Amino acid sequence: MALIDLRNINKVFMMGDEKIQALNDVSVQINEGELTSIVGTSGSGKSTLMNILGLLDLPSSGDYFLDGTNTTSMNDDALSLYRNQKIGFIFQSFHLLPKASALKNVEMPMQYASAYNKDLTDEVIRKLALESLEKVGLADRVHHLPNELSGGQRQRVAVARALVNKPKILLADEPTGALDSKTSEEILRLFQDLNKQGVTVIIVTHDNHVAQSCRRILRMSDGVIKSEEHL
Amino acid sequence: MMLKKIFINSFEALVENKLRSMLTMLGMIIGVAAVILLVSVGTGAKRYITAEFESLGTNIIIIQPGKTDKKSSMGPPISSSKGKITLSDVDAIMRSSQLLSAVSGVMYGAGTVKYDISASNIYIMGSNDQLQKVFNINIIEGNYISKEDDDAGRRVVVIGWNVKENLFGKDSPIGKLVKINESEHRVIGVIKPTGDKLGFNVDEMIFIPNKSALRLFNTDKLFGIRAAAKSRASLDDAVADITEILKERHNGEEDFTIITQVTMMDSMNTILNMLTYALGAIAFISMLVGGIGIMNIMLVSVTERTREIGIRRAVGARQSDILKQFIIEAVVISVSGGLIGILISLFITYALFFAFPGFDMRPPFWIIPPSFLLSFFTGLIFGVWPARKAARIQTIDALRYE
Ligand SMILES: Nc1ncnc2c1ncn2[C@@H]1O[C@H](COP(=O)(O)OP(=O)(O)OP(=O)(O)O)[C@@H](O)[C@H]1O
Ligand SMILES: [Mg+2]
Repeated sequence: MALIDLRNINKVFMMGDEKIQALNDVSVQINEGELTSIVGTSGSGKSTLMNILGLLDLPSSGDYFLDGTNTTSMNDDALSLYRNQKIGFIFQSFHLLPKASALKNVEMPMQYASAYNKDLTDEVIRKLALESLEKVGLADRVHHLPNELSGGQRQRVAVARALVNKPKILLADEPTGALDSKTSEEILRLFQDLNKQGVTVIIVTHDNHVAQSCRRILRMSDGVIKSEEHL
Repeated sequence: MMLKKIFINSFEALVENKLRSMLTMLGMIIGVAAVILLVSVGTGAKRYITAEFESLGTNIIIIQPGKTDKKSSMGPPISSSKGKITLSDVDAIMRSSQLLSAVSGVMYGAGTVKYDISASNIYIMGSNDQLQKVFNINIIEGNYISKEDDDAGRRVVVIGWNVKENLFGKDSPIGKLVKINESEHRVIGVIKPTGDKLGFNVDEMIFIPNKSALRLFNTDKLFGIRAAAKSRASLDDAVADITEILKERHNGEEDFTIITQVTMMDSMNTILNMLTYALGAIAFISMLVGGIGIMNIMLVSVTERTREIGIRRAVGARQSDILKQFIIEAVVISVSGGLIGILISLFITYALFFAFPGFDMRPPFWIIPPSFLLSFFTGLIFGVWPARKAARIQTIDALRYE
């Protein structure tokens, strides 16, 4: 059974009277452990698809089975739980809390997780957050605020945050879009390592090099997956 | 997320936005301080007036001619032409009631008192020997009017302290003759400096026997009777006694009004409570303004922090987590403001008390828990709407918010 199973997903935005069909009957399956990239022209619906995959947004119609459960019938609390436990999301613009240190940013998902898991005491949370930051190579930057970090370091804080609850899926929407090629390479390597450890990784990218380093490439255009490639 | 953690986060958020937090708190500080200060003024005034009344003794019975509404008996004594109280009424009460420790008719008017120099507009009080007991009049030199003085209507006078100082300076006035409205009276006593008592400044008064006063003012109508019950417990019975005695003497008609300390204090209390409530209501409005201030800032804060809300939701915060977060922030602001307001109002009232001990507006302790709770609930109530707004923002919209 596929970890991710999208069936006939449509997403329509209303701009006044105008209907925008951002996703048009998208069906795709992604198995556990895959490393997938999504490419396509600007406006082709990549981010819209990722937001739905990440349960940040709901499809207008269609079914999304995640880990065997149909998410389209879940209530908001259940969706929050899934976002917290099963999915790590990485954004092009990092989306770190600007007034919280790297450590606090990484601790945040675990604080919400502690509602479900009583083992997550303050000490455990701190310990796991430090470990996670160490894994992304930021052990010496834990008390820095985001604006005291470089772009690459910020994205690594975001990766540490996305991974801290040990999600099955890592979704990255143009994670290297704001980074130079050297830093992009580092982030990409991080994703590949994670994938080797069993995390299912999906990367939206405009960077051909990034796309080519994934085993599976989905090409989107006008709200549909036009083709796919296996390397 | 655990409540404790949310509290810590809220404090951190407040510290991060020091200026804004302070300004928001200011409304609550002023609101709570106003509540406490205004209630303190109310209770302070009440305490002052009650003490003043009680210093007179709580057993006093005031009988006035004419039927007046007991509820509005605070004003000056009204003598109506209808009822008429005479010295024989006083004698009858004195004879018949076992429950009274003292009874005196009273008669008053203004006049001129002359020794070497003259003092005009002196308040002249006619009384018998027992008024001293009714009003706790303390004599510093000589004696008060005696029963014989009153029975015989002797031309004697007991003078207040200021009158003595004005007319005699340091000399002893005892035995000296003064002219009261051209009629000569012998000074037999001086009253200890007393100040205000039941609306009169005793120091500026003189006391003469009732009969002398009636003669002086050329009338047979007394202004009223003042009596003291033997005990507070017998006050009501004493009033009933007097009512019966006077009614019988006045052809069964109740053409007089009896006021006791109790009824006076009751109507006084009604007025003072109303004052306290009115002040409380004003204070409540300032709380309301403080609460609206909090709501306003929280709404701004929610808008400003839309992206933060999106981020938190993206990593797994439930709507209820966001709701709690913003409500707790509002409560933390309002409670902090409330506590500061309590401290400030305590500081002000105690500072005033130590600077001017006569000006005791220290708040009663009971006001502190409710004002604390008031600030708590203000934060809660005015925090709910912004917090709901925050919780209901769609995750993706919040993340995209610029
Ligand atoms: N909230 C929205 N309201 C209205 N239209 C939207 C909204 N989000 C996306 N769209 C539209 O949906 C289409 C797909 O947008 P999407 O962001 O998914 O593109 P994309 O492939 O991620 O592009 P890019 O590579 O530039 O990020 C676009 O035409 C966009 O204008
Ligand atoms: Mg996009």
